[in-house]
Amino acid sequence: MSIPVYILKRILQAIPLLFIISVMSFVMLAFSPIDPLASLKANPSISQTTIDAEKRRLGLDKPPVVQYFYWVTSVMRGELGVSTTGGSVTALLFQRAGNTALLGIFTLIFTWLIAIPAGIYAAINRNTWVDKTFGILTAIGMSMPTFLMALLMLMFALQTKSLPIGGITSPDFFAMGLLDQIKDVTMHLVIPTAVLTFVGLAAIQRQMRGNLLEVLRDEYVRTARAKGLPEQRVIYVHALRNAINPLITLLGFEFATLLSGAALTETVVAYPGLGRLTLEAVLTKDMNLVMASLMLGAVMLILGNLFADVLLKLVDPRIVLE
Amino acid sequence: MRELAKNSGLGLVYAVCSDKHLVQCKLAFPIDDKDHSHHRAGNCLPVKLFAFLFCIPIILTSCGIQFAELLSSGNCRKPSSVMQRESIKSVEDTISKPPYPGDFKLVTRGSGNNIEELWQSRGEVGRFGGTFHTAVFGAGPKTFNCWDSRDVESAGIGQLIYEPLVDIDPWTAKVYPRLARSIKIGSNGKEYTVVLRRGLKWSDGKPITADDVIFTYNTIIKKGFGNTSSRDVMLVKGEFPEITKLDDLTVRFKTKVPFAPLLTRLGFAIAPKHAMEKVTQEPVDRFHAFWDVNSDPRQIVASGPFKIDRYVPGQRVEFVRNPNYAMVDKKGRRLPYLDKFVYSIVPDQNTILLKFYANEIDFLDVRSIRGSDASLIKQRERTGNFKLYNLGPDDGCVFLILNMARRTDPKTGKFYVPHPYQDWFNNKYFRLAISHAVDRKRIVDNILRGVGFQLFTAESLAAVYLNKSLKPYPQDLQLAAQLLEEGRFKKKGERLYDAQGNPVEFTLNTNAGNTARDGVCVMVQNDLKKLGIKVNYQAVDFNILIDKTNNSLDWQSIVMGLSGDRLEPNDGANVWKSDGRLHMFDQRLPNAKGETIVTDARDWEKEIDRCFDDGATTLDVTKRHKFYDRFQQIVYDEQSYIYLYTMLLLTAMKDWVGNYLPTPLGIGSTPRGSLHNLEEIYLKSDRH
Repeated sequence: MSIPVYILKRILQAIPLLFIISVMSFVMLAFSPIDPLASLKANPSISQTTIDAEKRRLGLDKPPVVQYFYWVTSVMRGELGVSTTGGSVTALLFQRAGNTALLGIFTLIFTWLIAIPAGIYAAINRNTWVDKTFGILTAIGMSMPTFLMALLMLMFALQTKSLPIGGITSPDFFAMGLLDQIKDVTMHLVIPTAVLTFVGLAAIQRQMRGNLLEVLRDEYVRTARAKGLPEQRVIYVHALRNAINPLITLLGFEFATLLSGAALTETVVAYPGLGRLTLEAVLTKDMNLVMASLMLGAVMLILGNLFADVLLKLVDPRIVLE
Repeated sequence: MRELAKNSGLGLVYAVCSDKHLVQCKLAFPIDDKDHSHHRAGNCLPVKLFAFLFCIPIILTSCGIQFAELLSSGNCRKPSSVMQRESIKSVEDTISKPPYPGDFKLVTRGSGNNIEELWQSRGEVGRFGGTFHTAVFGAGPKTFNCWDSRDVESAGIGQLIYEPLVDIDPWTAKVYPRLARSIKIGSNGKEYTVVLRRGLKWSDGKPITADDVIFTYNTIIKKGFGNTSSRDVMLVKGEFPEITKLDDLTVRFKTKVPFAPLLTRLGFAIAPKHAMEKVTQEPVDRFHAFWDVNSDPRQIVASGPFKIDRYVPGQRVEFVRNPNYAMVDKKGRRLPYLDKFVYSIVPDQNTILLKFYANEIDFLDVRSIRGSDASLIKQRERTGNFKLYNLGPDDGCVFLILNMARRTDPKTGKFYVPHPYQDWFNNKYFRLAISHAVDRKRIVDNILRGVGFQLFTAESLAAVYLNKSLKPYPQDLQLAAQLLEEGRFKKKGERLYDAQGNPVEFTLNTNAGNTARDGVCVMVQNDLKKLGIKVNYQAVDFNILIDKTNNSLDWQSIVMGLSGDRLEPNDGANVWKSDGRLHMFDQRLPNAKGETIVTDARDWEKEIDRCFDDGATTLDVTKRHKFYDRFQQIVYDEQSYIYLYTMLLLTAMKDWVGNYLPTPLGIGSTPRGSLHNLEEIYLKSDRH
């Protein structure tokens, strides 16, 4: 099967998948015992008529099936509806998507730039102290909760007075020149990027190390060495090519997380990203916003996988697309 | 997903997923899964375990951070907390009471048609310029249309950018004119004549006139645009006051009977007619999208000291000074002093604190300081260039209620609260016994760490109408046991039984995720155990809790909190009138038509109803006091709400900010918060 046909097929397959995901998400949300009007109801200064009006406005007086039908038809028309707070969901997502993508891309670049060489180095120098140090570091990254890590980084920033605490821009951002603006955003990105990189490092570094070790034990590597190829060539050309495949799949998954964000980290470092937006929306059962966000995540995951599979085919011609 | 996997310690999830996926992709060469995982497990797991144990101290020492500080901002109790509580106690004694600065003076400028009447501010003369930074905990404003606001933050923004006709003096609690020059009350309290100041201008230069006032009350509020609660609180015996324009600057409010809360209702923000008239000619729904968070905030016409300059979603709201603000300082210079007022939106309370320590923000408002953080903040006061202010008790309260509903559910025909629970909860002695058995002092000392007050009355300790003759009482288990005996309960061995021989046992709920309330419930459980009452405590989600109290009525007892109003007791009518929407201890549900019909009000409930009706229609403060005192006495005697505690309000301001004069009465909605005189707040020097 040629690549374009394969892509088309996968896209067609994605449509029923998205439909099922949307039904499942909607059902779970609709039956979650969260009352979007709870905070209004618990406020003594809000009258019953206000609550009823809100209920009608949000369509909560209709049964869930009807609500879903409304949602689907409006999505078909390309409208994602309005959030309970009144703003258009599309606008809300766009406001945040850029920030999350920025953080995601930075994290992706740093994670991979560090993890891949570190994995290779660890595999080649297996069981040396460098390998073990990496082992400890990645294990810390794996086991440490992100919110704690983020909080520690913020305290570090406070102690050293070197980095801004939270947010993505300084209050006087709009009065700065372009260069200062870039510098300001970069400074704000250091902490969240560091946290997410540190946390994401482990999986890729371990995977790279494992794969490479495996490949290095293969017969053809021994053959290559036996026929007198330089070690550099054996590792970086012959072995690495074959060890990289699982990582491409991993890259597909990473791509999916680009826009779904990291809600906990975003919350702690007050980063205005999609993850935080979604979390806040779930807590108030902001149906349209949560649904849009979940669907965005699903689409990104499907695209990421497709992207990874196609890339895999390009990298490794032995793979048969079906 | 990346984050979730890591947080649950499932770092391996990734590798496993990717392997499976590769198989699906039909790899031409096989991967030996077993060897793979063995290899990883052999090398990684012990290391991981090691790291899990040691990672935190390693990183901490490398950062040079006091770990204790982090932990103690949570809910754990340290042995040294006794010492810390001492330092807080000294704060308790020093509720911020800046001396009364006197009344505002009216300054008249210009002549002929250009006469301008300006208020002269009361604080010290400050210095112009600079940006004031603060932070608000939460997810950000929901709307900039303050007539449509339903949350504190949106309402607080309204208080920053709009002036009301009148406001309440933060020192004396008296109503004083703001946009108005004077208010005259005539014809036995049924007529209010409001005269506006001359020469007032909106931020876009258009004059503020009686038309704006009429528009606000007769169109926006009366016709139900936005939050209809403001219409409902204006109703006097179901009727909206008659509001007429007498001339360009004079408006008359007329009610059929005297209505005391009306004076504070004149404190609604006045809307700019020229900017909003168009949207009120459209269907009511459209009003919701008008000036919402997606609109350009610079189009919003303001009358307050500031106008919105920019909203950076999820990050901050920036305000700039309104050049037409009609107030001057003692040198006759037009306020506000500050060029900009910026508040950051921070979804995590620890982060707000760190921002404050790092001088990124100048001010921590009442909602930013948790009681558990107070002692640590106090310790940092000396080195941190700031001062902690004590604003006394909050006007909210936390209470325990028992479900006293005696009716049957019309849908199922069953009792909302089955026997014998119904009989216990309706037994006055039972409620009194519980109230006497709960150790409120221990709750305040141990859970609130001294940063709170025991509460026994329906009006909060901060309230102007507090009935001071109702005395607090300590925990008295003997008295409680006696009361139970009088209520015909009997203790056999370790358990309490009612007259029919049923062992006394009920469920106690509170909202999950609130560690303080969680602790309170466990304490109540232990205290009642001493009486032989078995309490099954269960925390449920806040939304579920509200569903229980508002719809299903399927609950037995609940620990919950409600916000209050320190100035206007009538705002509690929703809670206290027998057909009230939050009459939680015996909630009457509206019928299909949306009417709430009360058929089974107890005598004392009827008396409370009368107290509220009479209190609302009496203007004389002393007479009003009598009605609300009586109401509190009834609640104190009946214990239909068993009040437990209220929080202490704390704020912290950096030393380089001048004219910060917080008073317990001058607390508005955040972000305005305790900055009641924001227009005269200034920066003494450039910070740091």
